[in-house]
Amino acid sequence: MIMNSFVELTARERAEAIVDKGTFRELLDPYENFRSPHLLKQGIIAQNDDGMIVGKGTFNNKQAVVISMEGNFQGGGIGEVSGAKFAGALELALEDNKKGIPTQPIILFDTGGVRLQEANYGLLSISEIQAAIVELRNYQPLIGVIPGRIGCFGGMSMTAALFSYLIITKEGRLTLNGPEVIEQEAGIKEFDASDKVLIWNTLGGANRVATGYADYLAEDSLEDIVRIIGKCIGLGIPVHRSTKIDAYENLLASINPKENLTPQGLQEYMKRHGFLEKDYTVKKVISNKKDHLQKQLPAQVIHSRGRSWFNGIVGKDYVNKSKIDSVMCGDISLNGEVARVITVVPDENSYYPRAKGGEVGLEQGWEIARCIREAMREDEGKVSRPIIAVVDTPSQAYGYKEELLGIFLSCASAVDAYASARLAGHPVVTLIVGNAISGAFLAHGLQESYIISLDDDKIVVHAMSKKSAARITKRSISEMDKAAADVPGIAYDIHSFNCLGALNHLIKVNNHDAPLNEDINLIKAELIKGIKTSRENGNTLKYRLKTENAIIYRALSIEVREKLKELW
Amino acid sequence: METLKYTFQAEKRVKHKAHVGVVGSANLEVIFLPTNNSFSTVDISSKFEGHSAVWKSILERFFAENNCLADIEINDFGATSGVISLRLLQALEVANLDNE
Repeated sequence: MIMNSFVELTARERAEAIVDKGTFRELLDPYENFRSPHLLKQGIIAQNDDGMIVGKGTFNNKQAVVISMEGNFQGGGIGEVSGAKFAGALELALEDNKKGIPTQPIILFDTGGVRLQEANYGLLSISEIQAAIVELRNYQPLIGVIPGRIGCFGGMSMTAALFSYLIITKEGRLTLNGPEVIEQEAGIKEFDASDKVLIWNTLGGANRVATGYADYLAEDSLEDIVRIIGKCIGLGIPVHRSTKIDAYENLLASINPKENLTPQGLQEYMKRHGFLEKDYTVKKVISNKKDHLQKQLPAQVIHSRGRSWFNGIVGKDYVNKSKIDSVMCGDISLNGEVARVITVVPDENSYYPRAKGGEVGLEQGWEIARCIREAMREDEGKVSRPIIAVVDTPSQAYGYKEELLGIFLSCASAVDAYASARLAGHPVVTLIVGNAISGAFLAHGLQESYIISLDDDKIVVHAMSKKSAARITKRSISEMDKAAADVPGIAYDIHSFNCLGALNHLIKVNNHDAPLNEDINLIKAELIKGIKTSRENGNTLKYRLKTENAIIYRALSIEVREKLKELW
Repeated sequence: METLKYTFQAEKRVKHKAHVGVVGSANLEVIFLPTNNSFSTVDISSKFEGHSAVWKSILERFFAENNCLADIEINDFGATSGVISLRLLQALEVANLDNE
């Protein structure tokens, strides 16, 4: 039998082919001229659909919305227009499902993640896409296909990790940090970006399915992919991978990060322990981690802004509710109610050494999720306590084992928990006191319904470090700085980020590094205000597009959504 | 980046709009829109500068052979002249399909 290749198709052809024949209707097609003005300002040729194809149709006679990314245009990166198309379509599908019109989302990934030439526009869009997914998942199974050639990287790998089912081909790759970025950030010994065999064996579809980070390995054929999508719809809504905290924390504790671990080795290990079996229950496996911690000398407390502000807000008499020292979690009394405060701090004894410097690594993502879900459980049937994320994180952790063991899923578990907490009625407020970068910021800080930041020029908010971003976009750092003068979304400072409208308040304090009592009191008053506003807004992210700055600087994010609604 | 604009006298009005191609490496996006004018317009945005003579000769040949009346938009990411001619012909074919 002759198979029709799926990988060879363009994004539009894929979208059209996946639904029932003759039912595809594209929304915001290229004739609507939604090109990226941000690319044009940087002398980059834009495309009329911005590389994101959105359409409606039916799948096995069920109403469906298809979102398909064009990997050949700017690596399928998510910019303002493409991100708003994706988020807007999911938001409309959600409304349909809430109204009792079952609408099945089918997402065809082919994306490098945030489009670095639009940086923070992409980061905000992705957090809005993730928020919609966590809610939509309650109505329909979210089905994602990663056919390749590009695959699914960066913030979009975290997005994929929130899905109910992931279908991937051998040509597809799924991972948070691309090999080149890991090599840039952690050195060639950590990951050699030219070792293609290692890369495919680690990030490729075959290994991802064998180790349970994706669900089905599909042939590169339209027929096979359609068949598996049908099967997934039939299976309905599963227990989502990104909520299986005990299982994954157990896996991470039972592996020795100092020992060599090959993809094959991980596959065998999982098989031996029945990790991927349906009835897998967390057993007390020999915990390598326990031995590790017993042998360590007490860690020297490393100063960080996150720690200083956390200590200032939470006070001295606190017991860490988190199981690891690099995640600090405590409850405080704020305006007569209990509030939970969470931050990530440096810890030189961190079990996975790539997350020693305050990064959100494998363990940190899951542990943030645990701290949030514990509060949710305790508050069932009571007032949902506010959750406060104190953000000071240099990045996600960069490393080979991080990618092999699914750091994108770990980060997604935190996203999932924050979004689920909001949906359960918890006001979720972010306080930015230090750097807020990339996947780490998506995981810890961007699912919030109110965001406050210190007014400090040293604070950096971005999708990727300058060195790595320069390498990936093939530009010099001075060229990037020049482009940033015209496009606030790609600048690195907090004031440019403020332009995008997602910040509710910038606050001047006396001491950014070691807050004085009056600074803490000022911030606490702001947090109380944020909690109140969040509750009034229904604890959603929707305020972001209503702020004064958003109306100017995210006009396109708003316009794309309005236009989609008209065409829906 | 360079933008170029051309007009060509033409007669055969295309039936409907058409879109082909992707702004990917060595590729381009071409859009045809029907027009009520008596001349075709071509708006080009190209990643590479200094190729106006090449564009002009490709387009002159295309219009000489096809005499097609349309407003054309091209977004080019460094396509070779062969790919450009191919995409123009594809767009023309789609613009004159009967089933739309």
